[in-house]
Amino acid sequence: MGQAADRLARLLNVYVILPIPKVNMISSSELQMALADTSSNKNVSAVCQGFIGSGIAGEALLVFNDASFSDLAQLMNYKGPLDTHGELELLMDVSSVLIGACIQGIGEQLEITFNQGHPVVLGQHCQVDDLIKSGNHQWSQTLAIEINYKIENMNINCDLLLLFTEDSVAKINQQVDYLLD
Amino acid sequence: MTKASFEFAEMHWLMDVLQSIDVGLVILDRDYKIQLWNGFMENHSGLRPDDVHDKPLFGSFSEIPETWFRQKAEPVFELKTRTFTIWEQRPYLFKFKNYRPITGRAANMFQNSTIIPLESIDGSVKHICLIIYDVTDIAINKEDLTKANGNLAYLSQTDSLTELFNRGHWEEEFQREHKRCIRSKNPSSLVMFDIDHFKNVNDTYGHPAGDEVIRTLASIVRQTVRETDICGRYGGEEFTILLIDTDAQSAALFTERLRKKVDDLIVKTDNHDIKFTISSGIAEYSPNFKRHGDWIEAADKALYHSKENGRNRTTIFQNKPPQSL
Repeated sequence: MGQAADRLARLLNVYVILPIPKVNMISSSELQMALADTSSNKNVSAVCQGFIGSGIAGEALLVFNDASFSDLAQLMNYKGPLDTHGELELLMDVSSVLIGACIQGIGEQLEITFNQGHPVVLGQHCQVDDLIKSGNHQWSQTLAIEINYKIENMNINCDLLLLFTEDSVAKINQQVDYLLD
Repeated sequence: MTKASFEFAEMHWLMDVLQSIDVGLVILDRDYKIQLWNGFMENHSGLRPDDVHDKPLFGSFSEIPETWFRQKAEPVFELKTRTFTIWEQRPYLFKFKNYRPITGRAANMFQNSTIIPLESIDGSVKHICLIIYDVTDIAINKEDLTKANGNLAYLSQTDSLTELFNRGHWEEEFQREHKRCIRSKNPSSLVMFDIDHFKNVNDTYGHPAGDEVIRTLASIVRQTVRETDICGRYGGEEFTILLIDTDAQSAALFTERLRKKVDDLIVKTDNHDIKFTISSGIAEYSPNFKRHGDWIEAADKALYHSKENGRNRTTIFQNKPPQSL
């Protein structure tokens, strides 16, 4: 996580404030709740990206508070109009860096090279509740890591949620055990 | 096979795969000059690898904006991270014409792309690989779906005869405006009107003629209202218009204009020239209207008063006994 923040800080030339990530085993019914926690009642935009490698797989979900975009545009030196399309550009640029770095960082720790799927825009200017179709998930209990990035002196607030597949949890434990031995 | 010749054969296969895989592969150096150009790229662009080798990407393909692409590619060089572009952002990087005359329904190929870092032996990134995916089918399907959903929404909200809002959707919109009125205290006025003695029109000239009268009236309503006003067909021959930011007096001017237009109108059907009139009731928002139904009821009362007092007229709802204009 620190590596992702470091990359973001270097790309944007700012201080990135990084709290301790929240690591939890959550059940599928808690997914909506975990998301709802990330931003209270505000409109958000979100990008999702899958990753897989050596039996470990999951999805990274980046949720941006819509209020962040004007400051983000300033930071990223984005000159175009800040309409839905402009915001999509920013969303893609920042998520590439944040998700990419985070997945790569975890991969390096676990000595795994992950393949990354294409990012999917889950929605722009919508309520958190509408991001994810609830129910019907093919898993019951899995590992979730939540990281909240903030940037010093800027009104930028985004949440990165890493959710691993159920099968991955045992593999991660195995890999960590192996690396610690 | 010796080990060396096996490795050579393996290399050969890999090259074959890269050449024939249905995905575009382009390798760029630090100055964005093209170093590799696979079969997919050659076949779709019509340019051979030696046509583009060592040529700058930006000069050769004007459809790729330099600043935009650098913004995606620089982090790949600098941070060794992968970056992605999707067709929703920019439909394509390389402008490749649609090559499927039967199933390809777009003018150009929609593309997603991934830019990956290629590490050299010393660990630094001096080259990047641009991978181009053809996502035309996905993009077309998604656009079709969006269009279909739009059509469905329109159908479920629209009265098919008049093309005004149907009652359900009109009431939803009206409810929203009612809430907005409670907050903002801006005057908005509700107009309800219906066709006088419509049953006679149907009985005398037949239902198709009755439909024609309703259709003509709806088109006059559409020509008379402003874009922000919310018009619906409330019942058979009953219509509702919510005039936003309009007090009762201005609403009366509007309604009288509409009434006179209708009064002067002759609907021509195959066999008959039909004349008809409308009666209206107006209710301006009042804090007394706690529920949106109260507001409708007030306008309905005013409409009833117009009916009682000889029709072809407009009445403004007042808490006192109502008066015709």
